[in-house]
Amino acid sequence: MTAIVSLSDVVRTYRLGAVAVPALQGVSLEVHAGDFISIAGPSGSGKTTLLNLIGCVDTATSGTVLVDGNDTQHLSDRELTDLRLNTLGFIFQSFNLVSVLSVFQNVEFPLLLQRRLSKSERKDRVMSLLDQVGLATHVHHRPNELSGGQRQRVAVARALVTQPKIVLADEPTANLDSVTGNNIIDLMKALNVKNGTTFIFSTHDSKVMSHANVVIRLADGKIVDRTTPGNVQLKSVAEVH
Amino acid sequence: MGGHLRVLIRIALRNLFASKLNLVIGGIILVGTLLVVVGGALLDSMDQSMSRSIIGSVAGNIQVYSAKSKDPIALYGAMGAEADLAAIDDFSKLKTALESIPNVKTAVPMGINAALITSGNTVDIALEKLRELVRQKQQGGSTPEVEAKYQSQKEYIRQILRVLQSDMKKREVMLAEKSIEPENVAALARAGSDAFWNDFDRDPLNSLEFLENRIAPQASDADLIYLRYLGTDPDEFQQSFDRIQIVDGQKIPTGRRGFLFAKFFYENMLKLKAARRLDKIKKTRVDQGLPIVTSTGKGGQPSEAEHLLKENQAQTQEIILQLDRIKTQQAIQRLQQELGASDTDLDALLKKFFEMNDQNFNRRYRFFYDQLAPLLELYRIRVGDVLTIKAFTRTGYVQSVNVPVYGTFQFKGMEDAALAGNLNLMDLVSFRDLYGYLSAEKLEEVDKLKKLAGAESIDRSRAEEELFGAGRKVVAEATPGLIDEGRETSGNLRALRREELLRRVYSKDEMDNGVMLNAAVILKDPLKLKQTMKDIEALSEREHLNLKVVSWQTAAGLIGQFVSLAKLALYIAVFIIFIVALVIINNAMMMATLQRVHEIGTMRAIGAQRSFVLGLVLTEIIVLGMVFGATGAAIGAGIVKWLGKVGIAAQNDWFYFFFSGPRLHPWLSAGNLIAAFVIVLAVSAISTLYPAFLATRVAPVRAMQAEE
Repeated sequence: MTAIVSLSDVVRTYRLGAVAVPALQGVSLEVHAGDFISIAGPSGSGKTTLLNLIGCVDTATSGTVLVDGNDTQHLSDRELTDLRLNTLGFIFQSFNLVSVLSVFQNVEFPLLLQRRLSKSERKDRVMSLLDQVGLATHVHHRPNELSGGQRQRVAVARALVTQPKIVLADEPTANLDSVTGNNIIDLMKALNVKNGTTFIFSTHDSKVMSHANVVIRLADGKIVDRTTPGNVQLKSVAEVH
Repeated sequence: MGGHLRVLIRIALRNLFASKLNLVIGGIILVGTLLVVVGGALLDSMDQSMSRSIIGSVAGNIQVYSAKSKDPIALYGAMGAEADLAAIDDFSKLKTALESIPNVKTAVPMGINAALITSGNTVDIALEKLRELVRQKQQGGSTPEVEAKYQSQKEYIRQILRVLQSDMKKREVMLAEKSIEPENVAALARAGSDAFWNDFDRDPLNSLEFLENRIAPQASDADLIYLRYLGTDPDEFQQSFDRIQIVDGQKIPTGRRGFLFAKFFYENMLKLKAARRLDKIKKTRVDQGLPIVTSTGKGGQPSEAEHLLKENQAQTQEIILQLDRIKTQQAIQRLQQELGASDTDLDALLKKFFEMNDQNFNRRYRFFYDQLAPLLELYRIRVGDVLTIKAFTRTGYVQSVNVPVYGTFQFKGMEDAALAGNLNLMDLVSFRDLYGYLSAEKLEEVDKLKKLAGAESIDRSRAEEELFGAGRKVVAEATPGLIDEGRETSGNLRALRREELLRRVYSKDEMDNGVMLNAAVILKDPLKLKQTMKDIEALSEREHLNLKVVSWQTAAGLIGQFVSLAKLALYIAVFIIFIVALVIINNAMMMATLQRVHEIGTMRAIGAQRSFVLGLVLTEIIVLGMVFGATGAAIGAGIVKWLGKVGIAAQNDWFYFFFSGPRLHPWLSAGNLIAAFVIVLAVSAISTLYPAFLATRVAPVRAMQAEE
């Protein structure tokens, strides 16, 4: 399998005034298509920074970040944005839905930005995803009319609607109770299995971690461990709901 | 961007009422649009109304005058003095030329000048009557009727003398004695003595002269009145300015010398002051609903009405002097009855009568006009009188002209407009006389005088030789003293000459062929004003007419610029308001952007380009501007519509002119609405540029950070 994401000796340093704060200190990593990777580690270990670099919302101070073959260091803002739009999907800790848009419109939003599909194709795609996340009956609801778990499912649908190669999720379960959180991870896993979409998510939660086929542990901006948990339970998408 | 527009508009519309900041911005936009719509409509309506006033009352669409003039034309006067315009020698030639231009309907000859006239005081008027009776007695012998009138008039003058004497005594008490001239005291004493009147019949003319020269000037009620008049062809004027209406009397008959007073001027300047003051009080009561008595209420400040009544009480002499013995008795009787008073002194009765209040005003006002006015001369100059106007000619000597007053006129819809109402009308021939140009008949007269005196004209270049050369024929003989035509041709001769001039009918050619100062050009299509002005300029160039061509607005002088100035003021006000709005909207949008950093960051993270974010912010402000701007415009249009229905009352005579009537009924034009809309959208968009730019700088990484 070829690496869909490849980091070699990546350093990311933030400047706080005159002080340089190292967030990542020489990280090298390869992610393969279809991986379901969990990035673990305590707060401040560099999880989010790593995700930001892979997600093309940030660039490395040194080292190389290749996303789907693109060296992010050498891309313009416009090219990075296009890469995010077409190759990546995002699931955020606090869902980040557009509050004035309905469930349907939130999911449709990236498709409108892509401007590739016709109205009816968009509708089919959105409805099929909402069906998969179990919210087909909530299309006209506004985000504030949904529970946290429902909102995160909308976010999952939005992340997958463009059929991205990689979905990044930053602490997707942190704002959810454990049952709901598990459901979300199960949903992601099911989609990973069904569509072969690569998932990279960060988490504190060891239960959540256990679903991953690769767990990468960070401490002080370095990878300290890379494990492959043995008993990964696979559930079908239908069972998740 | 095109494909994004739908989602942008959708987000913008949904965000419209989502934030309080948007409501603040919307409110500013709403008020701003409302202001532009209402203010613009008011000023535009006023502009058009005033243009109607100016075009319809005197200016016409275009004014032409000689380019050699020292001053620019100012139809409504320029800082007190009349503009110094050079004469156009042959008006008929100009008229023919102007009327050859297709869009020119007609050209009306004009000239504006001003003179001071004395209305003649009461004593003068009484003496003039007595003189007339003396003349009748001397000419036609004494009939009993004339004799009775003569005696009564004498008695009336003696009564005036008594009033003057008692006045003098009062003044002696109040003022230091030295301020009263002893000659005046002596003259009054002589005129009041029985001896003077016993001798009167023996040499009435001499006695009259004494009274005219020594007594009349002591009566203080003679006014110098500033009279502005427009010399024109009355027929042509009336046809071209068809809003003119004759109020009293009749129009000046075709081809005659004559004078028409502007009704406004006639009422304000020539009416008995006491009556005028009562009219004013009535007007404020009716028009503005103001009560007379306010001094008991608001901190003791007397109202204007109370002020006017005080003046009426203090100036009863104006009425008393007008009444002879019989009329005085009648007035006393009527006032006693009305007031239920037993006073026998007219002065005291009048003072009581003018103690008016809100309860008795209407009754007393009617009483004044029904019972007292018939005993009085309400106007100093009556329709039918011959008015003597003396004016300085261009060369600086004083010329006087007699014109009969045929009536009064007003412009429909501008009855109370001071600016239009202070310009009186005079026939062209009299105007030329007054302005000091030789008319054909004057030339004729000069010829006659020359023959009569055996005078000979000598060429200016040969004057020295003729007068002082060796073979001189001319011997200068001079009599000291000036020749006063009035005195030289007194009595019948003078009257006959006057009659003849006044009866003479001038042909249209005589009216047109002559000197004029300016001309009002009336257009068939007023919208083609600019083009026609160019045509006239070209014509002037071609035919060497040497004309200056100005629009009605320029011709009106400062007044014409009034609305432009008001518009400028409005635009400056709007500009300031929008600058303030710009700052507020800018700040509000900055805050709104900061509040939405997370949302914008998310959009950026999931693939929205910077241009999309820019579009998002701009679309929002434009939608906001359109929605609130349209609401503001709609409310503004409603207000204008409502104002158009009820009208805005003209607060004073000036606004009467600007409003072209007692009320302005503003209307809305599409241009106004569009202007308001464009301004509002532009201001909104400009004020949002910086916040929008900031929004595009929001990093996608902000999406990853927890929402504050």
